[in-house]
This record gives sequence, C-alpha cells and structure tokens, in this order.
Amino acid sequence: MHIMEGFLPLQWAVFWWLIALPCLVYGVYRLKKVMDADREALPLLGVTGGFIFILSSLKLPSVTGSCSHPTGTGLSAICFGPWITSVVCAIVLLFQALFLAHGGLSVLGANVVSMGIVGPLAGYAVYRALRETRVNMFLTVFLACALADMFTYITTSLELALAYPAEVEGVGSSFVLFMGIFAITQVPLAIVEGVVLALVFKYIVQLKPDILLRMNVFPEEKINAARDDT
Amino acid sequence: MVFRYRLEILAIVAVLTFCALFLYTSSMMGNAEFAGSDTVGSAKIAELAGVPVDEIQPLIPQWVPPSGEVESALFALQAAIGGIMVGLVFGYWIGQKKGTKST
Repeated sequence: MHIMEGFLPLQWAVFWWLIALPCLVYGVYRLKKVMDADREALPLLGVTGGFIFILSSLKLPSVTGSCSHPTGTGLSAICFGPWITSVVCAIVLLFQALFLAHGGLSVLGANVVSMGIVGPLAGYAVYRALRETRVNMFLTVFLACALADMFTYITTSLELALAYPAEVEGVGSSFVLFMGIFAITQVPLAIVEGVVLALVFKYIVQLKPDILLRMNVFPEEKINAARDDT
Repeated sequence: MVFRYRLEILAIVAVLTFCALFLYTSSMMGNAEFAGSDTVGSAKIAELAGVPVDEIQPLIPQWVPPSGEVESALFALQAAIGGIMVGLVFGYWIGQKKGTKST
C-alpha cells in the first residue's frame, strides 16, 4: 500500500499531510487520555501495536502473481479506536520510510491516511455496527480486520487515481486500474489476516478479559460467553 | 475438544488454503515474478504520467537500502520488534494470571 517517495505530485503530498496531521494530533491526545485512565491499557496497546509491526513487515505472495503487505490495524482499531491506531501506523510507516525506502517522508501523509486513518475507520465502523448485535464476537473481529485491510488498499488506489487521472476517462478509469493492482492482490491476504487476528483476539479474551471489560470493547455477556466456551 | 479449538483449526485451514493457492498459481503462471504490488503500482504511475520510473525523483532525499539483503534484514528487524512486544505482553499476562491463582 506504500506510495513510493516522489510518486505523488507536491500538491497532493501536502494535501494528504494536511488531512493526516490533525488526526495524528488528536490520536496522541486520545492516547494520553487512555493511558492516564488505565495503566493496564499499555500492555494491550503493546499487543495490538506489535501485530501492526509484525504483519506490515510481511510481504506475502498473492494469487495475482505479486506481493503485498497485510496491515494488522483492525485489532488496534477495535480496542483503541481509529485515532490511536493512526499514531501507531505513523510510527511503523516512518520506520519503513526512513530505513526501507518503502514510502517516504513527502508521501507519509498519504500513506498514513490510507493505512492509519481510512482503513482503521472502516474496521471500526464495522465493529461498532456489529458490537451490540447477536453476531458472533470473533466474526465481528474477523470482518473488522479484513475490511480495515481492504479499505487501506482501496484508499491507496483512490489517492493514486486522484493524482493520476487517465487522460481520456479521468479519475474513475485510473481508480479501476489501481484497484486491479492493489485491491485484488489484497483480497486473499485480507481474509487470512482477519482469521489470524480473530485468533489473537481469542487469546486476549482468555488471558486478560478484565481489560477488555474495563475498556468496554465488547458487551460483558459476549466476553463472558466466549470465556466459558473456550 | 475439537469444538474448543475451532478458531485455531479455521486459522490453520485459511493459511494452508492460502499456501495451496499460491503454489497452484505460481506453477500455472511460469512467468509471474511475485514483485511487490507497490512496484507494479509505481510502474503503472510512470505509464500514466508518461515518464520512465527511473526518472521519478524523490521530493525529499531518502536513504535507500543498498541491496535486497539489507532491506530484508531491516524488515526482519521490524517484525522482531513486533514479536518481542507481543511475546512480552502475553508472557506478562500469563504470569499475572498464575500469580492471582496461587494467592
């Protein structure tokens, strides 16, 4: 999902930075608030953030004959909301921009918007919609994680399409073109990522259900039912 | 007992299916390079913009890993940082759980 350094014209790079910055500032503020409220939230952030580090470093081959990264942002979005997740993503993306030449400083804004803001927001929206319903808790986690991953790549496609509209048919046609490269490669990866993160969430429920209850991640009945079940 | 581990089984099945699909497609598409989608995307941008990929200059100067080996080492480092964090916290929680049980 990385847009490479120099591949976005200056005005677009600035535009995405302007969107990303306020979100990051708000994310830092939220992070401080959550940490002040409950010190036991820090280990949970370590696990969810750790999986963003691990999963976004894996370049997996996909059925389309190209490789791509999972994002791992869904779990963090569920536990901490999208804004704190964007701060963690910004750290990962900064590491990759500085040391790996994946992405870059001028396009960091655009990459934060796709991986750190729109993706987690999509996952968070799914989670909020299903949280109080009778839908199975792990299915909710799966859907949120898989969609957070997919929407990251859809956003990247959109960012590129806006910057590089096709000469004849415009933005729509290049959007389809970039979707073909980024999003289709991503479908199998998103599914595997969703299943793996749902499994991780099961272990969090087993080991530390009280922090999930205190942070009100899922209703008490759902968490207790999952504990009895496993 | 099998019921208890259904999520684990599901995860293993998903990963194995993923591997099988990969093996199948890579054997069918003899010329597939498995290049990064970032690279494929960049090539497409160059095509749309009408300039060769090599001529697209970074807006902000950037350090590039001298070889694929160095790059994969740094990627491994990133995964290791994540792995240490996850392992540390799960260990901490397991310890906490044991501590509360024995008292």
